[in-house]
Amino acid sequence: MTMNEHPAMPAGFEDLAPLVTRWARGTENERNALRLAASAADFAAFCQAMGPRLPALLAYLTDVPPTPTEPADRNALMLACAYGEAAPHHELYGGSAEVPFSFDARRFVPDHGGDSL
Amino acid sequence: MQQTVPALDHIRRTIPQIRQELGISPVSVRPIRDPAIYALEKERIFKKVWLKVATAWELPNPGDYKVKELPVADTSILVVRGKDGRIRAYHNVCTHRGNKVVPNAGFETFGRARANVVTCRFHGWVFGTDGALKSVPMEDGFGQLDKACLGLRAIACDEWEGFVFINFDPQPAQSLAEYLGDFGRLFGGYPYHESTTAFRYSTVLKCNWKVALYAFSEGYHVPTIHAGSLPGFRGIEHTDFKLMGPHASSTIYGAGMDAAPSTQTFAGLLHGSGTHAPRPDLLPPDINPQRRADFQFEIPNIFPNLLIHLASGCGYPGMSFFTHQFWPLEHGTTLWEGINYFRPATNAAERAAQMHVNALHRNAWLEDTATMEDTFTGIMSGAIDEMQLMDQEFLIRHAALTLDDYLTGTKQ
Repeated sequence: MTMNEHPAMPAGFEDLAPLVTRWARGTENERNALRLAASAADFAAFCQAMGPRLPALLAYLTDVPPTPTEPADRNALMLACAYGEAAPHHELYGGSAEVPFSFDARRFVPDHGGDSL
Repeated sequence: MQQTVPALDHIRRTIPQIRQELGISPVSVRPIRDPAIYALEKERIFKKVWLKVATAWELPNPGDYKVKELPVADTSILVVRGKDGRIRAYHNVCTHRGNKVVPNAGFETFGRARANVVTCRFHGWVFGTDGALKSVPMEDGFGQLDKACLGLRAIACDEWEGFVFINFDPQPAQSLAEYLGDFGRLFGGYPYHESTTAFRYSTVLKCNWKVALYAFSEGYHVPTIHAGSLPGFRGIEHTDFKLMGPHASSTIYGAGMDAAPSTQTFAGLLHGSGTHAPRPDLLPPDINPQRRADFQFEIPNIFPNLLIHLASGCGYPGMSFFTHQFWPLEHGTTLWEGINYFRPATNAAERAAQMHVNALHRNAWLEDTATMEDTFTGIMSGAIDEMQLMDQEFLIRHAALTLDDYLTGTKQ
């Protein structure tokens, strides 16, 4: 698969484009569902690819409105949010998709869960 | 420049004072266990005291309304902003035959009253946002109908700092300002209304409402329960105890909320922002009066069922404040609501950072709520009759004593 077959990312962040299809989602409900289905290896691979690039990506996104209009910018925001959701599971929870010793996340209802970025 | 309000010195307590005033004896779990006490709580507390049900910024425009289901008061309420800009509350009950005027979907439903009226779907009775009965289809068919007396049944409603409270007592014993008393002065003056970006979570817990309230009313549990999500949260000090009639408060100091590398990156962005950086200078003067750099948040208990954790960006990165509320559905069932409030993001990076902080806090809440159903099961088993409470659990002891005062009629 070539880079051009992946969803668009802003110039300079094309290397992250392969992550978009797998991880970038517009709503918290979708990000939660992806997270709950992920393995420790999934989290590790995502975080190893995204972690070092996060500062630059956030620097870029500071010039983007909170609700981006450009598809590439929206993909970048969705990817940053996906990382924000997934990273604790790699960094803090030993790769567990669930928060250890926690209440059932499926019973926790976010009012905003269906709101798209 | 902010100054300490001298009038509030009387609310401060040292630990010896707290022990002397509230005692150190174990506290009975009977109010949690006994369904008969829940029946008394409904009548003597939830139908008598002021209850927060909304925020003004949830209803920014005339006609905006919120329907809230309140089984603890055996009713559904309609909170609506009128043409005159004032927020009022009504029983969501049609005065024709008792149908719900505005149907709900879940415990909270939002909408907009077109032309500032709401219409009962059963027979089309139309009510203004001022509560007045405006029109009745086939009115002549009633023979006589005094529309002036058939407006929506009003509920006492008032605002404090943009938080909307109601009181089901037709003639409340105190005004909202009197009821909040020193709490209103302690927490007043912070620009709560600027933090309009809200993330609300809710869940129905199989436990008595006080089990959930008490679990969120102390910092003693942080090093154990939150070892997973907040491993770097260290040097935790739960102090600055304050008593204010039926309400109480205290302060959490500490460091290391941003232990994970990802959180450090997101937090760095928020801390470097003029909008979301820690603003201890905005705290009311009697909260963190020394302006300590390790201030995390104020942890109060606003009787009977509300916590407003005021942080001003000093605790969870970028978070202005967060609230908990505990609504009894039945004796052993509780609706918990947790809401994180931020100032609106000004760019996409801030939005992503807020999402991360929100997720981290949600995960900590998942750790908190994990204990509650087990605690209730344990109490209902009859294996223990008392709770053993340490100093950092004084908010629980104070709430239990206040509850007892209301149930026995010492307070009304």
